[in-house]
Order: sequence, then C-alpha cells, then structure tokens
Amino acid sequence: MAARTRWFLFFATLLALLPALPVPEFWITQLNYIGLYATVSLGLVLLTGVAGLTSFGQAAFVGVGAYTAAFLSVNYQISPWLTVFIGLAITVAVALVLAAVTLKMSGHYLPLATMAWGLSLYYTMSNMDWLGKYDGILGVPAMTLFGLSLASGRSYFYLIWVVALLAAVGVVHLLDSRTGRAIRALKGGVTMAEAMGISTYRYKVLVFVLAAMLASISGWLFAHFQRTVNPSPFALGKGIEYLFMAVLGGVGNVWGAFTGAALVKVIEEQLQDWLPRLFGASGNYETIVFGVVLVIVLKYAPEGLWPHVEKLFARFLPSRQRVRDWADAAPLPERSKPQRGELLLDVDRVRKQFGGLVAVNDVSFQIRTGDIVGLIGPNGAGKSTTFNLVSGVLSKTSGRVRFRGEDVSALSSREIARRGLSRTFQHVKMLPDMTVLENVALGGYLRSSAGTVQAMLRLDRAEERQLLREAERQLVRIGMQDQMHELAGNLALGPARMMEIARALCTDPALLLLDEPAAGLRHKEKQALATVLRQLKGEGMSLLLVEHDMDFVMNLTDRIVVMEFGTKLIEGTPAEVQASPVVRAAYLGTEH
Amino acid sequence: MKLTKTLLALAALWAAGAAQADINIGISLPLTGPANGLGIPMQKGIGLWPASIGGEKLNVVVLDDGSDPTKGVQNAKRFVTEKMDIVMGSAATPVAIAMSDTVAEAATPHFMFSPAVLQAGKDSWAFRLPQSNAVMSHAMLKHMSKLGVKTVGFLGYTDAYGESWLKDFQAEAAAMGVPIKVIATERFARTDTAVTAQALKLTSANPDAVLIVASGSGAAMPHKAIIERGYKGKVYQTHAAATRDLMRIGGKDVEGAYVVSGPCVIAEQLPDAHPSKKVAIDFVQKFEKANGPGSRNQFAGHAHDAALVLEKIIPMALKKAKPGTPEFRAALKDATETMGRTVVSHGVLTYSKDNHWGFTTETGVILKVVNGDWKVE
Amino acid sequence: MDFSIASILALDGVTNGAVYALLATATVLLFAVTRVIFIPQGEFVAYGALTLAVLQTGQVPGTVWLLLIMAAVAAVVEAVDGLRQRRPVGLVAKGAVLTLAVPLVIATVAMVAAPMNLPLVVQALLTLAIVTPLGGLTYRLAYESLADATVLVLLIVSVGVHFALTGVGLLFFGAEGYRNPSFWDERFNAGPLMLTGQTVIIFLASAALIVLLWLFFERSLYGKALRATAVNRLGARLMGISTVQAGRLSFTMAAFIGALSGLLIGPTTTVFYDSGFLIGLKGFVAAVFGGLASYPMALVGALGVGLLESFGSFWASSFKEVIVFTSILPVLLWRSLRDPHTEED
Repeated sequence: MAARTRWFLFFATLLALLPALPVPEFWITQLNYIGLYATVSLGLVLLTGVAGLTSFGQAAFVGVGAYTAAFLSVNYQISPWLTVFIGLAITVAVALVLAAVTLKMSGHYLPLATMAWGLSLYYTMSNMDWLGKYDGILGVPAMTLFGLSLASGRSYFYLIWVVALLAAVGVVHLLDSRTGRAIRALKGGVTMAEAMGISTYRYKVLVFVLAAMLASISGWLFAHFQRTVNPSPFALGKGIEYLFMAVLGGVGNVWGAFTGAALVKVIEEQLQDWLPRLFGASGNYETIVFGVVLVIVLKYAPEGLWPHVEKLFARFLPSRQRVRDWADAAPLPERSKPQRGELLLDVDRVRKQFGGLVAVNDVSFQIRTGDIVGLIGPNGAGKSTTFNLVSGVLSKTSGRVRFRGEDVSALSSREIARRGLSRTFQHVKMLPDMTVLENVALGGYLRSSAGTVQAMLRLDRAEERQLLREAERQLVRIGMQDQMHELAGNLALGPARMMEIARALCTDPALLLLDEPAAGLRHKEKQALATVLRQLKGEGMSLLLVEHDMDFVMNLTDRIVVMEFGTKLIEGTPAEVQASPVVRAAYLGTEH
Repeated sequence: MKLTKTLLALAALWAAGAAQADINIGISLPLTGPANGLGIPMQKGIGLWPASIGGEKLNVVVLDDGSDPTKGVQNAKRFVTEKMDIVMGSAATPVAIAMSDTVAEAATPHFMFSPAVLQAGKDSWAFRLPQSNAVMSHAMLKHMSKLGVKTVGFLGYTDAYGESWLKDFQAEAAAMGVPIKVIATERFARTDTAVTAQALKLTSANPDAVLIVASGSGAAMPHKAIIERGYKGKVYQTHAAATRDLMRIGGKDVEGAYVVSGPCVIAEQLPDAHPSKKVAIDFVQKFEKANGPGSRNQFAGHAHDAALVLEKIIPMALKKAKPGTPEFRAALKDATETMGRTVVSHGVLTYSKDNHWGFTTETGVILKVVNGDWKVE
Repeated sequence: MDFSIASILALDGVTNGAVYALLATATVLLFAVTRVIFIPQGEFVAYGALTLAVLQTGQVPGTVWLLLIMAAVAAVVEAVDGLRQRRPVGLVAKGAVLTLAVPLVIATVAMVAAPMNLPLVVQALLTLAIVTPLGGLTYRLAYESLADATVLVLLIVSVGVHFALTGVGLLFFGAEGYRNPSFWDERFNAGPLMLTGQTVIIFLASAALIVLLWLFFERSLYGKALRATAVNRLGARLMGISTVQAGRLSFTMAAFIGALSGLLIGPTTTVFYDSGFLIGLKGFVAAVFGGLASYPMALVGALGVGLLESFGSFWASSFKEVIVFTSILPVLLWRSLRDPHTEED
C-alpha cells in the first residue's frame, strides 16, 4: 500500500478514536468546527486552486444549505437525512443560475461577481420573514441516526468527519481522472483545453456546482450542530475567511483545505483570548492578524503552507510514483483514417479582418492524406492566424474550410478536434504540475467517457488504464517514455514541445497542425524532432507545420505554402519555393 | 493554552478533593456590533461585582458575542461544556433568544440581560433581568394618555426586539383599554445607516406620537431622521435607549423626547417612598465613583441587579448542593423562583414558577430629555 | 408617491450618490494607475470621519498612532532591504529618515493641537493631514513588492488589507458610533426640498474633485504618465516614469479622497468603525459601472446607485441592499464581455 494511503488511514484512525478518549470537550468542539470549515474550503480548493476561479461567495451557499435544513426540520419536521438532499437540490439550482451569469465573465470580473451575489444572497436571506430575518430560525432539532441521538459534540464529531473525509477522498479521486485533468486544464486559459475537445464552460459549471454542493453540505451539518441558524455566518466576511483558509493552507492541494481550516480556527480561538487582553479592550481583533497574515502569505508563500509541510515530511512521504498497472489494458478504439492521397483539408479563400486590418487575405490551399505541408513567411505574414482559423480558435470573416469532406467553417475548436484535427501551440501550453504522462493523457479526453461520479467513486479505473496505456504508447512513439513520470514543469523547452506533439497524437488525429515546433530548440533537438516527424509521416500521418527554420522545413516537407502580409504568395515543392524570386523578394527585399 | 489551563484545573480539583469550589458564571455580552452600547456598560457594571458570595469565590468569564446570535450560541456552548453554574446574557434580544435553547438543554439557569420573549414553555430555565416590554409599555401608555395621544407611528428594528415591542405595546394598550392605536409601522435593520424613506412615510401619516424602538447609540439615527423630516409631534423611546449615547449623538434633535426607563438612572429624583431609592442611589454612587460622574446607565443597573439577585440565591443554593454539580444548578433555579420580593435598583423583582419576568408595572419611569440631561416626568 | 416625496427621495439619492462618486473616482484612479482593486477604500472614509470625531472630543485620535506605526514599519523594511542589497549605509539611513519625517511632523502637530479645541475647519484639515499619508504607506507595505502580480492576487491582498484596517479601526476607535457636527448649519428651502448646508458642500466638493481628477488624468502629461504605468509597467519605467512613485502618489490621492468623503458624510450619518465597508462597496459598484476606467461613467453609476438605494428603500426598505448588489451582476457581465481580456497565462 502506498505510503500516503498508510498515513491517511493512520490519521483517520486517530480521529476516529479521539472522541472515545477523555480529551477536553473544547478540543472536540474545535475539531467539529474545523471539519465544517474544511468541507467548504475543500470546495474552494477545487474551484479556486485547481480551476482558477476565485470565489468569495461560498458562505452564501453554506447559508442555503443551513436555512433549508433549519426551515424544513423546524416547520415541517422533515428528517435531516431528507433535508440534505432537498438542500443540495436547491443549492444546485441556485448554483446553476449563478454560474450562467458569473462564469461567462473573465479575469477579475469573476471574483467581483461572486462578491456581488454573495452579498445579494446574504441580504435576501436576512430579510425574508419566513426565514426569521436577522434573528434567524431557532430550535433546530438535533440529528438522530437510527434512534441514536447525535446531539452531543462527540457523537456529531463522527458525522462531520466522515463527511469531510469522504468529500476529500472524492475530490482526490476526481482530480486523478479524466475529469480531473479536464478541470486542471481550466486554469490559465481555455485555448488548449478547447483544442483537446474539452468543453471548458461545462467544466467550469461543474466545478462551481461541486463547490456549492460541498458548501451546502457543510451548512446542513452546521444547522444541526448550532441548533439555531441566523444570517451572520453567511456574510461576505465569512466567505472571505473561507478563501483565506484555502489560501493559507495551500489552495492547490486537497489537504491544504484541512491545514488552512485547522490553522485559522485554532489561531482565531487563541487570538480571541489573547488580543483583547493585550489591547485592554474587548473586540474581535483577530481580523488584524488575519489581514496581515494573508498579505504576508501572498507575498512570500503564495502556494500556501501545505507544500512546506509536505517538504518537511518528505522523508516519510516518498514522491508518488504512479504504479504502472496498465500494461494489459485494452487499446482505445481508433478512428477510421482516410486513404492515402484522399483530400484531407481544403482551405478555401479564408479571410480574417480585424477592423480595417486584413490579417489573412483569401488564402487557399489543400492538404492530401500523407502530405507534410509547410506554411512559411516573414514575421507578421498571418501564419499563426491562418492556423487559428483552420483549427477553430478564431472565427473567420469569410471563406470555408472543409475537413475530410465536411464543412467545418463554423465549428468551434472543440468540434473540429473531435473530427480528428489536432494541434500544438506556438507557446507551449501545458500543465506544469502534472506529470508528462498525465499531460499526454489529457489528449485522450475525446476518446474516453468516464464522468464525474464514476471518477469520484473510482469506477473509472479500467478506462483510465486504457488512457494511460495510450498515453505511454504515444510517448514511446516520440521517444520520451523515460520521462513519463517527470513533472511537466521540469522539462526543457525541447522535450516540452515533443510532449505537446505526443499529446496531440493522443487524440488520434487524421491531421496534425504544428505551430513552430522547432522554435527555441537546439540543433540536436531539432534533428530529433525531424526524425520523429518523418517517422510519423512514414506511419501515414498528415502534417501541416508553420516554421521559420528554413533548413528544417526544406528537408522535411513535401510542399510549402508561402505567405506575406496575409496573402498567399506561391505554393510548391521546396525546390520551387527556394528558386522563386517572389519568395526571395518577400524575405530579403527586391533588387533595385 | 486552553488545554493546559483545563488540565491544570482538573488536576487541582483532584488534588484538593473538591474542598473549595468556585462558582463559575459565564456571561455573553455584545461588546462590539450594533448593540455594544448595551454590552459595554454592563461589562463595566460586572466589574463592580463582589469577588465572592456566600464564602465561595465568583469566577466570572465574559465573552463578546458581537451582537450576533451565532456567536452567542457558540459562547453558550462553550459555557455549558465547561459546566458553568450560571449563564448570563446577552444584552441583545435576538442573541439571548438564540442562546436560551442551548442553556436550557444543559439545565443551567440563564439570566438574560434583555427582555427576550421566548416561546411558550421554553423559559423554564430563563429569567429576565430587564423589565419586560409589556411593563414598560404600561408606563409609556399611561404617559401618552395623560398627554392626549391617540395615534402612534412605530419605527423600530426588524428583529425580535422591535417585533416584541410592537406586539406588547399593542397588547398592553388593549389590556389597559386606552384609545391609543398604531397607525403606521416602519421597520429598519440594526445596521442601517439611514431611514429617510421610512421617516418620510411616517411623517406623512402624521401621528400624534412616534415610538422609536432601537437600542443604544443606534437610537439616535432614526430619531434625527424623524426630526429632520419636520415632524412636530411627541417622540418616545424605549428603555434600551436610556443611555447618554442618545444625547451625545442626537444632540439638539432629541431634546424633548420621552424615554421610558428603570428608576436607577434618575435615582436622586425618585420620591423617598419609592422602594428602590436607596439601592438605586447606592448603585449610582458606586458606578460613578469607578467610571466618572454622569456615567450612570440603564444597563449597568441591570448588571448591578444581577449581583443583588446572586447574593440572594447563591447562599440559598449552597445549602442544598455544591457548585459545579447539576443539583447546584437546579437549586439556583429553585432559589430564584422562591426568593420573593427582592429590591433592586430597577424596582422590585419577584420571580415565581410561572413568572420569569419579575418586574411589576410600577417599575417604569418616563424621563424627558431636557438640556441634554434626564428629567423625571 | 407624489412629486414632493419623489423629489425628497431624489435629493437624498443624489446626495448619497455624490459621496459614492467620490469613492468611485478613487477606485477608478487606483485601478487605472496600479491595477489594484482597492476594497478598503471605505476604511479611509471611516478613518476620516472618526478621526475628526475624536479630535472634537479633545483627544489624540488613534489614527496618529497608526500613522507612526506604519511609517516605522515601512522605514525598517526599507532599511533592511537596503542593507541586504548592500546599498551605502548613509543612503539607507537617509531613506529611513525621509520616510519617517512627514509622519512624525504630522503626529507631533496632532498631539499638540488635539487638546487645544481648535475650530472645526482647522480640525478637519488636521484630519486630512493625518489620514492622507496612510495611503502611500499602505501601498508601500502591502502592494509595492507585488506590483507585477495579477489583478486577482492584488484583489486578494486588498481583502487582507481590508481585514487588517477594519480591525485596527475597532482597536483605535472602539465599537461606538460617532456623529460629527455639520460644517455649515444653514438650511435652504427650494419648494418641497430642504437642502442643508452640508448637502451643498457635498455637491460642490464632489463636483470639484471629479473635474480636477478628470483634467489631471486626461489633460496633463503627469496624469497620462501615471496611467501609463498600469498599461505597461516596464515600458513606463523605460520612459523614465517611476512606477513606484506613481503607485504611492495614487494611493495617497485615494486616501485623501477617502478622508474627505469621511468628513463630508460624518455629519449626515452615525459612523462606526465598520461603516466604511458598505459605503466603499457601493462606491465600487459605481466604479465598475464605469468599467474601472471612465470617470464620467463612474459618476453616472454613483448617482444611479444612490437613487436606486433611495427609491428602493422607499418601496421595499429591507431589500434595498439586495437590489443594489444584484443589479451589479448584469453590469459586471456587460463590462466583462465588452472589455477585451487576454488570458493571463
């Protein structure tokens, strides 16, 4: 059993034994609150740390869960074991509505929106007569489990921590799956994810709803713990505090949520005791410390404290080497490949205008199966723009693109990827915190289907093994299998570009678009790249590549398309292009 | 720190063998937040409590609940898990109500510093130290009918304090048979910074008198708003506003306002026959010696009264059980219910098994704000 | 609702809107120069009002101590930095002295002047003098080293600063509320409306400040230079614009505007140590309406928020906050879709 799993079980057992021991009641109460807060922070780790969507409004969802539980159990005597599902249903509905508004926003507008609806929900809950307005709902009954009362702190402890740990395990499982990779691809930009066929909007909504559900469950537990529910714990201040817990603990890591919640609760308690004594006046001065600590953490330890804890215990926690258990997995189904010589890509007078600037001026060319075509031209010729038009990243002003006979002009990059067109990027877009193998497995997204629930319950292992086997196969194809378990962020530029190619290959494409694959590579690396590309061509892969390195292009391609100022100059074999005076003029200028 | 303290305390108890046990009292007060004008004077009043009663040392723990029911419940939970003998608080009505369930479940006597109305049957362990809104309404209504007021406009908190005042006021008016009706009702939140719209609606209804139900320094804002709208009728405030903060913030605008209060605030102006005169003067002198002249306060008076009650019930309970035991807590409850007529600075308290309010209708006094000071009407 | 009530509500809304406009301009100003979304702007407002209130009672306000503490910390941090970078000791010492000089002078003046019960206007000026330097010091301590971070990180830092300043406000001013005397006690009647002198001052001050800021940033070279630092820090520095000075100056200006707003609203409402947050938030809503870039739009947004609040509280008084904060969502959405946004990789 892996060392990490052993440690996890050890701590879980410790926690399970704790209420039975004669520890002070104070500890139990503290741990109860820590469990409640950690559940919410867990959602934030997923939402903010992994997916990159900062939210200040999670406290409002806690309120939705808490009020549902309180209202239904006090007024209609509905059992808490039912109200949790009703609460979750309401939360999901509210989350979907808010997601539709919030997630279309980008950059800093998104967290501002979360602040806005966080405040809005808070004031709504505070002013509803039937929710008791600012006084709230009193007399929420204690929970019972098969007749056993869970009223005491010690018995409730079990419920809270079972829920918290199950949620944590679920999230850990989720992140190590097809869905998890898609979620991790959300951070830092959607272009790459969309090009791999991932519907980024759908996953943003998914993560948003998951985080809301976690907050709602925490609220349900909270209501039956506090036995009264009033609006103040669901205000914006608390929402900020949850984010603070996640950031302090380590917003990118599941265990960071627990670390942060524990630290904040314990420190808060001590500060509430000591600061008023220090200042000689009563009041909640711990906010001063929290504010200062938050700024310091952001300045000096933006990854939070959990990574430092991990480093401290590195001796006991050997790095997680993925166990290679996929050798016997069945291969993934492959798409039908076109015949050699068949018309693969037909670019027909595509045009892109940015206002008055014509970036791509009615460019046309064709690619047949088995060709390697190069797209060259001086800087600013519009090569990458053409690439983006063909792959669906940019919308066309006019013109058509046909891929394997189908008109794909109006399709998004996601849809085009699904049809067998894959690409790499001018600036390598990869996920530095995932291993090389996992990055490449991201390319297999479209070829697999396991969903969120399956991932969390670990029912997707069979398909996952297939995916990883396929990813390894692609790495072998380009000769990088030795670096399989290396963190992608540690790779030099050359290997990183190769990894991107492997990822693109993992989508099982009929046509591969490579955007300056040799840029920034050293001589040996370029040779290796050329070997790989020739090998791919030998296997029947069609390639379209943009390049600046003339040697590289001339020695590799069958045909070359030359562009200048958005217009196609000529198209021909490398020899024809080299001899052409028009091309020479474009690159070197005319003779006077 | 908490752990070490607890461990040491446990060890000490073990070693000393339950010889001398402290009486532990946990108090939750709104020292910050909108109701801090009630909590801070109470804390000062508690500072003047005796160090021991009946030979046992008083171990008083005061926690801030920030006028927030959630924090109040957390404080209450802390108190009952540490097996406090008595829980007191809060001064803010919604907080006191929220705390009551937790304290009642732990079978601990709960002395509330606000006139909190609990659901029927839920107040077996809860006793109120301030006068009930009904009792104060009685005094107010008497004064109103003396001045010929027929219509009243209500401008109060949207929370339990405001709602219960509205209900009790109307109920008391009906019970007294006076022809006083509430013709306009406006509400605002404790945290609101302006009530222009509400003031507008009230002044256009033009009642004979306006009743403002707010507490502490928050009572000045609605008052000023009414005056700024040009309202020329009489303005009444409740006993939660009987504090100098009203004049400090309200300034000229609160001149001539009528505030119902307990007798302790104007101790010297009480007639000699008033039962509380001596106790009230004693309180005022003690308090102003420690906190400066003119610092006397309705709420500090409640804190002082709490000590007087404790001085009566603790010796009674000590005869039956030891501190720290459930029997002691039950004995305290019985003692409070049977302690009989107890003269305190705010009047005469008589709790009984069915009446956990204590004060009779004689306790309310109407004060008028004259030149920034109180004058008995 | 008849015309007289509507006009009273409108006046109320526009008066509040004028104060929100001041805060909105400060927010836009800060974002335009430093890309910081400064949530704690409201705290400067509260500090302004409360500092004057404490001066009125003849005591030294806590903000003076805050000023000294922040100046001391800034001086120490800079000195440590300078020594670590092996700069000449004389230069480091000079820097420390410069940092401490102005705050020390202001603090001394305040401590001397506080019990002297000077006229209201003088105390108001003293308040401005005490609170304004806090802005530059806040920038130095919290934001300067993170100046190149993403807007998001700066936003979270702002949240941290807000927490800290609110707590410090509680510490220095206590939990009680204060109300300042009005600067101008006159009352003017215009039909059903009653304008107080204070309202007139609010309008005049807001209008003057907005016009001045607009002129400064749109028409003067220095103002444009400041804006350049937000667009491209490196480019600005290459042009000889000190981005550090730009940041400090803009924060100082924002603190000035905040303190001024505090002086203006002090007489109209009871100010507590935490009143600033909601006020600042509403000013922020108005700023977002202007896309965090346009002053005139921010002014329109501010008046809109004030009127929305005023009429909203007449029709559904308990839901006025819900109305204000829900209405910002479509504005944010509109702005987000309109303003081009590049992926921050």
